Amino acid sequence: MKRTVFAVLVAGLVALCIGVPASAHHSFAAAYDMSNAITVHGVINQVLLRNPHSWFVIDVKDASGKVEQWSFEAGTPSGMIRNGYKPTVIKQGAEVTIKGFRARDASQNRGMLRELTTADGQVYGMFGPQEGPGK
Amino acid sequence: MTRSILKQSFVTAAIATALVWFTAGTTRLAAQSGTSAAKAPRTADGHPDFSGVWWRGADVGGRTASGANPIAPAAGRGGTPAPTFPSLYTPAAAAKAKTLSDKDDPALGCTNTAFGTLNVSLFDVGAVGQIVQTPKFLIMLTETYNSFQIIPIDGRPHRDAIPPSNRGDGVGHWEGDTLVVDKTNFTDTSWIYAEGRVSFHSDAMHVVERYRRVDANTLEIEATVEDPKVLSKPWVVPKQTLVLAPFDQIMELACSNETQSLVEGASKQSSGKN
Repeated sequence: MKRTVFAVLVAGLVALCIGVPASAHHSFAAAYDMSNAITVHGVINQVLLRNPHSWFVIDVKDASGKVEQWSFEAGTPSGMIRNGYKPTVIKQGAEVTIKGFRARDASQNRGMLRELTTADGQVYGMFGPQEGPGK
Repeated sequence: MTRSILKQSFVTAAIATALVWFTAGTTRLAAQSGTSAAKAPRTADGHPDFSGVWWRGADVGGRTASGANPIAPAAGRGGTPAPTFPSLYTPAAAAKAKTLSDKDDPALGCTNTAFGTLNVSLFDVGAVGQIVQTPKFLIMLTETYNSFQIIPIDGRPHRDAIPPSNRGDGVGHWEGDTLVVDKTNFTDTSWIYAEGRVSFHSDAMHVVERYRRVDANTLEIEATVEDPKVLSKPWVVPKQTLVLAPFDQIMELACSNETQSLVEGASKQSSGKN
């Protein structure tokens, strides 16, 4: 029981520390398991700058060479752009590493984007670049 | 002579000190009362001009000029907690609410809300909105889900024989410097709120909003939502204070149903968020 409470507290603190909106245009908490952090490396297949939220679709190759597609939900496009994200920067074919939280339905290759890092080391959060003023 | 000079110096110093105290006090009082802020602009007919892009000072999760985000999660996305609609429902409506969940939220399919999230109807589901004011109309433009409302502000009544809409039909009239907007004629297919909060309403929904531009940079909005068919009492929206955004044009970005399946697929099971 104590362990469960501790785990819930830690998960809550993690969610708060990374600044993920507690709620947005739909319930993130209902869709993603904030205690299940994942890191996925792959190549951008598609960037969907759509309302209410943007999606990054990436192709991930496993050790045997088999390609699986993963989709990660990010922020509202207008909010991302106002916070420094440039639609032309992360394009199809770009190699990226995405850290996030896995969908509650673990049979789906889906997650909520917490951090995206490009091959040159540039780090983006859910709402745009992580460096510079106002980080 | 020396005594006279000393006396004169003392009097001068006393007067100077009194002036400094008086000026400081006046400035302090002005700052406290807000009178030092620039006055709200007015249109040619003398009414306050609400034109501008309004927000809380940042996007949800975004940065401000100072780095702090006034829409931090802990602050309940804007300092006021989201409403708990089932607590307002009639028993019959509350029973219906239990059959619904976040997956039933029409906003997932790009349907505008009947009121809006962040307790501001101008935002709909976003965090920013634009107002364009003409002598006859106040035009409200939303960003995240493109929509507009053309609100006559010349005191005319609601139109007859127009179809209901998700955002309702609005008319406005002036009470001094306050613009009172009355909205009726809603569909019953949108929800009042979004974000998975079960908040359906009926076609009897009625909204009254009061807009006041208290100074050049500040817009205050009060609102009351009533729906005698499903709400046992009105939802009195906490007063909202918006500021002018540092940009003068919102963006147009499409809402897309193609991401709906992605969102729905992420959730393992329906989990109502009332």
